[in-house]
Amino acid sequence: MKTCPVTLVPGVPALLPSYASLQDPVAGLRATCLVSVARLGPRVRVSASGPSGARVAAALVAAVGGAVVEDGETGVLVVGNGSATRTEKAPGHFDPRAEAFDVALRVSFADIDAALAEELGADTACLRGLPPLAQAEVAYDDAPFGVQYWVATWEGR
Amino acid sequence: MRLGRQAFSDDRALMMAIVNRTPDSFFDKGATWAEDAALARVAEVVEQGAEIVDIGGIKAAPGVEISIAEEKDRVVDFVAAVRSAHPGLVISVDTWRAEVGAAVCAAGADILNDAWGGADPELVDVAAEYDAAIVCTHTGGVTPRTRPYRIEYDDVVAAAIADTVAYAERAVHAGVARESIVIDPAHDFGKNTFHSLELTRRLGEMVATGWPVLVSLSNKDFVGETLGLDVSQRLLGTLAATSVCAMAGARIYRIHQVVETRQTVDMVWSIAGRRPPLRAIRGIQ
Repeated sequence: MKTCPVTLVPGVPALLPSYASLQDPVAGLRATCLVSVARLGPRVRVSASGPSGARVAAALVAAVGGAVVEDGETGVLVVGNGSATRTEKAPGHFDPRAEAFDVALRVSFADIDAALAEELGADTACLRGLPPLAQAEVAYDDAPFGVQYWVATWEGR
Repeated sequence: MRLGRQAFSDDRALMMAIVNRTPDSFFDKGATWAEDAALARVAEVVEQGAEIVDIGGIKAAPGVEISIAEEKDRVVDFVAAVRSAHPGLVISVDTWRAEVGAAVCAAGADILNDAWGGADPELVDVAAEYDAAIVCTHTGGVTPRTRPYRIEYDDVVAAAIADTVAYAERAVHAGVARESIVIDPAHDFGKNTFHSLELTRRLGEMVATGWPVLVSLSNKDFVGETLGLDVSQRLLGTLAATSVCAMAGARIYRIHQVVETRQTVDMVWSIAGRRPPLRAIRGIQ
């Protein structure tokens, strides 16, 4: 049986319609997320953690005209991101361990140090089990506000 | 809301910048009496984001009588010059005289700002003829260019609503487009400081009529008397009053200081939930 495509997006509350600004501070991220989520088809199962992950996922799915489902999905949307301590202005201030932590995630989601992830404000609970980013089509890889974001899609097979 | 050649959606707050063609207005004291200075002032306020300019040829306070011919000399050619330099700008003219109104509309004006509350009953017919907008103000029935003296109201807000709404309906009846009619409680016109403060405090009652409300608060005596400040020192008091009117939902602000007023109204508009922040990311990245 063919497996569904899986897309990873960060749980950025600024993507929510209720937090819209006149000038979108996450315009590039938003555009990338919408293109990637649209590839998941009309029925999307969500795997999200963190206080805003499920809301962000639901908003993105709704924005591309899809529906969040519990089963019978055409695609899977995983919500998570790397550290939130990459710069002085980052939500968790600068932590010198953050960059290496994100580099390790970029290589593999298999062996995440959960305690360190929590210290660095990384939202990684749903990332375990994802294949490496090297096997995905990575559409976004940046830390514009001191938080490491990825938008990536693993095609179904 | 449609103001002559421009339509504006209901969520917009508009800046109407005052441009005096007078040698003696209270705030600028003749700074734009010369035509080139006045044109430079228009260019400046347009650059600052004003959607509307309000051109006046007669100061509001008592003084030397200005004939119709003299008023036309001051404003008609100037309106044409502004129209030529700024094709899309909304041009308002502060006049109570129908003959002047017709001449400025022919020269390109969009709004007749009747600051003296219908003193000339034919002004509405002119607005209708030229499809111009009209500002219906409340003055308590005083003669143009007179100061209020011992005027009393049972309820100044009720009086302002009754008169401006009646004026608006008269304008509709005369053929002015309903979406081109604005009401203005006219702070300090036919009112003492206590009246103007009460109008500010209860402005929401005027907004609730459904007619778009214009407020003209800028550097006025009710601000000066309330704070004990000269004309040149009334900006902060003006902005405080502006905030209160913005929270209530006033749509047009007739002002001297565009940048400061815009910033104040934008901030209040966002507090009221009518305007998103410009760019918010703190805590939600």
